[in-house]
Amino acid sequence: MDSIRDLACIVGIGHTEYSKDSGRSELKLACEAIQAALDDAGLRATDVDGISKYTMDNNDPVEIARCLGIPHLRFFSEVAYGGGGGPMGTIMQAAMAVATGQAKAVIAFRAMNERSGRGTARFGQAAASAGAGGPSSYVAPFGLFSPAQMVAMAARQHMHRYGTQSSDFAEIALTCRHHANMNPDAVMYGRELTLDDHQSSRMISTPLRLYDCCLETDGGAAVIVTTPERGRALRQPPIMIAAGGLGGGSWNHRFMVRDLDAGESEATIIAKRLFNDAGIRHEDIDVLFIYDHFTPLVLMALEEYGFCKRGESKDFIAGGRLRWPDGDLPMNTSGGNLSEGYIHGMQNTIEAVRQLRGVARCQVEDANYAFVSAGNAVPTSAMILRRDS
Amino acid sequence: MNDIVDFPYPVPEYGAEPFWQACNDEQLVMQRCELCSKLRWQPAPLCTFCASDQYVWAPLSGRGRISTWTVVTHPVHPAAAARVPYVVVEVELEEQRGLRLISNLQGTDHDAIEFDAAVEIAFISHANGQKLHVFSLA
Repeated sequence: MDSIRDLACIVGIGHTEYSKDSGRSELKLACEAIQAALDDAGLRATDVDGISKYTMDNNDPVEIARCLGIPHLRFFSEVAYGGGGGPMGTIMQAAMAVATGQAKAVIAFRAMNERSGRGTARFGQAAASAGAGGPSSYVAPFGLFSPAQMVAMAARQHMHRYGTQSSDFAEIALTCRHHANMNPDAVMYGRELTLDDHQSSRMISTPLRLYDCCLETDGGAAVIVTTPERGRALRQPPIMIAAGGLGGGSWNHRFMVRDLDAGESEATIIAKRLFNDAGIRHEDIDVLFIYDHFTPLVLMALEEYGFCKRGESKDFIAGGRLRWPDGDLPMNTSGGNLSEGYIHGMQNTIEAVRQLRGVARCQVEDANYAFVSAGNAVPTSAMILRRDS
Repeated sequence: MNDIVDFPYPVPEYGAEPFWQACNDEQLVMQRCELCSKLRWQPAPLCTFCASDQYVWAPLSGRGRISTWTVVTHPVHPAAAARVPYVVVEVELEEQRGLRLISNLQGTDHDAIEFDAAVEIAFISHANGQKLHVFSLA
C-alpha cells in the first residue's frame, strides 16, 4: 500500500440548514447532519462504528454515539488546526480506519454555532480578555487578534510582490456569490454581489474588505466513509478518495501571519504527493473546491497547489474561468465559505460529492475528478475525489 | 468588561520571562543559539535551526525594516474601538534575515508606510505597567 488511493469512499452526505442563529445546540446540529448523511447513504446508526472530528469541535463522540444509538465505537479520532487540518484530515483518518479494517463505516463531521456564539465563540472576534498568554502574548498586545488581520498582512505582500489587485481578490468573492445565487440553501442566496459592491465594502484590515472575508455561520455538515466493497452495495454511487494528504511545517508560524519568502508551504508539501498518488495531473481536475476563508488565500492556494505558478493566480482566474457554467474550471459551485455557509469547509466536500454524483445544481458536465482543499495559512489538508468507474 | 481599557497585556510564556523583563528595561532581546549563533523568534526551548538547547538572551539594536503591515479598521476587541485605525507591522530586524517581529507602528501617516522602510524601536507602557516594544520610522 503506497497511498490511500481507492481504498475508501464517501457514501453519504448530510447537512443542516445554514443560518446566523440555529436556535439549537451544537450537539443537535451534529446529530441532524449525521442522520441526514446516514439517510443519504441508506445506513443506520448501528452500521457505523467510528467518528472522526475536528479537535476544536465542541461535540464529544460518545455523546453523539449515545444520541444516535451507535452501539459500538471502535474508532474515534480528532484532527488539529481547525479549518486547515479538519476538513480533509477527518475524512483521511476515517479513510485510513476503514482501509485498515479498524472500522467499517466512519463519520466525519463539523457542527458549530459559530455565528450566534451559542457554544463556539465567533472566529472574527477577539475574546474580551485583559491578558493574553501562549503564542497570543506576542501579538495580542499589539492589537493583532483575528485571522482577517493576519491574512491581510500576507495579502499586502502578495500585492506588492506580484501586482495582485483588490479586484483580483474580488473575482473570488464574486465567483462564490454567483454560485450561491443558484443555491437556495446558501446564506447569501438572492443577494447579488458586484465588483462595485466589493470595492466599496467596509475595510476590515487593509487591504482586506468585508467581502474578502468568509461568512460566520451556524450549522452542521457530515459525511460517511466506508470501503469501496461496502460502498458499492449502498444506495448512492460511492465517491472514491483518489488521494489525500496533510501538510505543515516550520514555516507555519503559530499564527496565520504567512511567510511568503518560505520556499515551501503547507500546500506545496501536500501537492508534492497528492496528484501522483491519484495518478492524475492538474489538467484532469474537472471541478475545484478551494477553501475560501479569505479571498487572497484562495489565490495563494491555486499557486501553491500547482494550478499555476507563484504570482500568476490573478491571470489564472481571469475571464471568469472559475464560474459555472461558462468557465472551464468552476470553483466552489455551491457558494463556498464566502457565500454558502461557513461550516469550516465541510460543506465544500459535500458539494464535491454532489458534483461527482452528477446531482449538483451547478453541475459540471462529466465531472470525474474534484480537487478539495482545506484552509491554508495554517497546517492544512487536501483531497482528490473521483467518480467510481 | 468596561474595565478593559487596553489591548491584552502579555502573560509571559514559561521560559520567555527574560524577554518581557528586558522590555521593561527598554532593551530588545532574543534567544541566540550558543551552537550555531542564530537568533530565533518567537521564544522556543530549542534552536529552530539546529535544535540545540543552549542559548543566551542576546541584546538587539531594535533597528529593522518593514516587511509587511496592515491598518486595522474594524475593531474586534473591547479596547480596539478607541484605537482604530491602528497599524500592526511586521518588522524584519537588521541582525538576521527572516527574523521578524509583530509590533505597532507609531506616529506615521498611514498612507506613507512603505515596504522596506527603516524603523527603530521605542517602548511604551501597557495599562498594566508592562513595557511593550513599538516602532516608528527611522
